[in-house]
Order: sequence, then structure tokens, then C-alpha cells
Amino acid sequence: MPGIVEVEDLVKEFRAFERREGLLGALADLFSRQYRTVRAVDRISFEIRPGEMVGYIGPNGAGKSTTIKMLTGILVASGGTIRANGYIPWKERTKYASTIGVVFGQRTQLWWDIAVVESFQLLRKIYNVSESDYKTRMKRFDEILELGRYLHTPVRKLSLGERMRCDVAAALLHSPPLVFLDEPTIGLDIVAKEHIRQFLKDVNHHSGTTILLTTHDLSDIEELCPRLMIIDHGRLLFDGGLKELKRLFWRDSALKVDLKDREEADRLGALELDGVEKQRLDDMSYRLRFPRDQWTAAGVIRRVVNAAEVRDIVIEEQSIEEVVKRIYLGEMFQESRP
Amino acid sequence: MRPAALLEFSRIGFMNMLAFRLRYYTGVITYLINVTVYYFIWQAIYAAEPDYAGLTFPQMVTYVAIGWIIRSMYFNNIDSQMASDILEGKISMIMLKPVSVQWSYIARAVGESAFRLLLLTAPTALVIAAIFPVEPPASAAHFGAFLLALAASIFLVASMNFIVGSCAVSLKSILGLLRAKFWMQELLSGLLVPVTVFPSPLREISGLLPFQHIGFTPMMIYLGKLSWPEIGKAFALEWFWVVFLIGFGAWFWALLSRRITIHGG
Repeated sequence: MPGIVEVEDLVKEFRAFERREGLLGALADLFSRQYRTVRAVDRISFEIRPGEMVGYIGPNGAGKSTTIKMLTGILVASGGTIRANGYIPWKERTKYASTIGVVFGQRTQLWWDIAVVESFQLLRKIYNVSESDYKTRMKRFDEILELGRYLHTPVRKLSLGERMRCDVAAALLHSPPLVFLDEPTIGLDIVAKEHIRQFLKDVNHHSGTTILLTTHDLSDIEELCPRLMIIDHGRLLFDGGLKELKRLFWRDSALKVDLKDREEADRLGALELDGVEKQRLDDMSYRLRFPRDQWTAAGVIRRVVNAAEVRDIVIEEQSIEEVVKRIYLGEMFQESRP
Repeated sequence: MRPAALLEFSRIGFMNMLAFRLRYYTGVITYLINVTVYYFIWQAIYAAEPDYAGLTFPQMVTYVAIGWIIRSMYFNNIDSQMASDILEGKISMIMLKPVSVQWSYIARAVGESAFRLLLLTAPTALVIAAIFPVEPPASAAHFGAFLLALAASIFLVASMNFIVGSCAVSLKSILGLLRAKFWMQELLSGLLVPVTVFPSPLREISGLLPFQHIGFTPMMIYLGKLSWPEIGKAFALEWFWVVFLIGFGAWFWALLSRRITIHGG
């Protein structure tokens, strides 16, 4: 199946004006300006197939939003190509726009001063949605997102969670096959987050809608996206499934060992275990971190049990947060680029 | 862009104004003060020179009154709205929709004018006509032609404002440009003084620009100062400018929007 989104060697550069310091510098800036080219997105390529749900993550300033803005046709790429729904987004913007839905979590797409339902009516006309489709969709949206209560309130009076639900519903009113969400759960409480996730799942499941979302909340990814892409400094660092990410980057495991008493703990402390990092947590417990290519959990446990009297052992699963944090910190990419 | 969608944008323009309707009740007073000030200025001028600028004093009072009354309708803020939309990145909201950016702003301006007509122009006209000796139009036909010319005024102002607002894409601060355009429009549209009292080179230059068709042309039609062939010519010029400015605006936006940067979010 061909990709619904095909991105090749995508580049976006911004020209940033560099200010010189001090009064003289400011005066000099009046006559000759110094510019610095910043590459926000650096030769990114990927493909998304119809019906996929893809998480797009990266630290602040990594180039996520810039990519989304190019994918939605607001920004023009400095290099490379995008083909989405058969269009080049920024070249055929108006035609393309009717085939996608977009949510920017930080910025509402609804009209600020008028009631939500008025915005929906406007969208209905813009996207040429029939009255009956509009009614059925609104009913379904209402079931999951519970919009009914504040449809007649101006957007500026809504809470963030309410606004976001309305924004997500608005983006899907015309039932687009492709949806981009830039941080749809930012700043939301657990209940509102759950509503949004449930809704996205439902839309993906029932209408086969392809979804690309960016987030800082990795539980969004764990719940919604079988596939994730990690970007940093404008470069795509990883593209694959969660399991694959763990397999590739979950290089250490850890055991938490509780010992019978202090003496036993000291005994474990003295034990020679090559390559295992020992961290004393308190009088009677240790955390042992070991590289998975050198040790197995069973192997470590056997050595520990033979050497000291153990009360309890817990195998600590490395969380996805931990893996991603370390990718962001740049720890694991020099030698292990997939 | 589909007419139904355009109509919706106009409706939003109308509704948006409705949210701040209180502002327009005070607007009536502002316009009344303006007309009063100009009334006394012209009274002083006419005391010295009874036939100034080819108009009698009652005609000049009518000119001033009608000038401000119609300004209350064709005026819009889409240039500064657009500038803030661009600088704050809210422009993305329109760019994400299958609509022409230009037409969505123009349609909104039309909606605003409809609102102003009802809530500002109508009460202002009633109050001014009750206080000042405003003459009726030259004839019913002239009044019809005047209304048609006014329709063009709305589009002229909207299409100019769209072009000026677009400049925010490459300017960090657009306030100066907005101010300059504002006063140029106030002066050259003939709102402050009739174009005919401009000194010679300025009058010729003004004739080559679209501004005087915003206010001066409709008012000359109202006062019956133009013959029918002249009115025909004025219509042709006005609508030529509308088409030209909309065409230029579309081209200008296509050029600038490629350079748009929307930071944050």
C-alpha cells in the first residue's frame, strides 16, 4: 500500500537575525545585519501508511512543530518534498486543507469571541458538510467528548480541557482521512486526556483515520501509537515500534535487592560482580544495574543469593520515559544508531 | 471559495462585532463630535470666502456630514487584525482551512460593514441629520448611484487593508505602516477636506490613486456634482481599482506567505 504521507529529505531553515551586544552593537545592527541560518528540520524522511497512528516526539525545539507546520501546508519547506493525500501541502494548500484535520494544542482553531456552536456551523459551511452528516457526527462526538454542555459558550470562557475537546471535534468535523495533532494533551488533566485519547482511538478504529501526533506525554504514545518517531536537533533519530525501541535501547536492566540485615548488605557490597553497577539505597538494600549483553537477570540473582541472605528481589522494568530521556540527553546515539 | 463559506465568514465578522457592541454606542458620539468640529471650521472659512472649493456652505456641511456617516460604514480594522494574526501566529487558523486567506478577510470586512451599517451608521446618520442642516441627495437616481459607489468603497478599503496587513509577514513592527496608511486614507479619500481643495500637484497625484474613490467620489455623486457620463466613468475607475487591488493583493499574499514563519506552539 502506498503511503498516505511521504516525506523525503525534508529541510527547513530559518534565517535568524543576530543582535550585537551593547549600544554600539545596536547601532551597528542598524546598518549591517548579521544573520545566522538555523536548520530546524534536517533531511527527514519517512512514510506513513493509511490507518496508522504515529507518535512524533522530541524535546522542546527539536523541530516537531516545524515539521507539522510543513505537513499541514502553513510553512514552505526549504528543501525536500512532502506528498500527503496526493498533494504537495504548501503548493495546493486550499485543496489539501479540505482533506486534513489539524489541532494545535497551544492555539485554538476556533473563533475566540463567538460561541463554539457558531464556529462549528462555520466549519460545516467551509468544508461543505451536509446537515445530516453534521448531526450524526456531532452526536458521536458528544458521546465521547461530552461537548453538549458548553456548545453555547464563547471559546474564551472555556477551560483548557473543554477548549481542547472542542478543537479536536472541530478538526474532525469533516471526517478527514488524515489528522495532525500537535500536542493535543498539553496541560490537560487526566480525565480530559482520557477523553481525547478515547476519541482518537475511536476515530482511528471506526473510520480508519490516519493520525500523526506530537506529545511530551509518553503515556499518549503507549496508549495510542504502535509506532513512534523521535526527532532531535532536526534529525530523525528513531522510527519504529515501542518494542523495537526498547530492544534497541534498553541496554541495562536493574534489580532492587533487599537483604536480611546490615551485615548481609555489606557482604553483597563486597561481592565482586564484573560490569555490574552497585548503588546502595539504604542500610539494607541495593540497586544493581547490569548490561544485558553481559548478564542475565537470572545470572545476577544466582550470584547474589549465593553470596548473601536475601529477603526480596524486584526486577525493575526500564520505563519508556527512561529510554526516551536518555535519547534526548544524547547518551545513546553515537554508537547505536539503528 | 464557495459563496456559502464566504457568507459564513461575513456572518462571523458580524458576530465578532456583536460581542463588543457597547463600543459602537460610544462611536455615535465620536462621529458627532467630528462632524461638529468640522462644521465650525468650515463656518469660519465660509465667513471669509462664501464660495469655497466649488461648494456652497450648506453643500459643504452636507459633504462633511455624509463623509463621516459613510466612513462609519466602509471603515474596517482588518489591516491591524491581520497584522496581529500574523505576528501572533493566529493566521495559521485560516491557513489550515480550505479557504482563500484574502477572501476570508474581505468577507469578514463586509460582515463588519453590515454590522456597522445597522449599529453605527444608522444611528449616527439620524443624530447628525437631526442636528445639522444636511441636504437631501441631488435626486433619487443620484442616491442609487451613491449607494452603488459605496459598495465599491467597502471593497476598496478591504482590499487595501489586506495588502497593508500582509506586510506584517516581513515586518516585526507594523504600527508605523498602519498609521501612515490610516492618515493617507483619511486625507486622500476626501474625508478631511474635499480633494478639490488640494494644491495642484497633490490633486493630480490623488487622481492617479484609488483613495479618492473611497469617499470623495460617492459624495460628489450624492451632491450631484458629477454628470451622468462622469458618474459612469467614476464607476468604471472605482471597480477597476477594486479588481486591481484584489488581484494585486492575491499576488502579494502568494509571494509573502511563502516567507511566513510561525514560531512557538
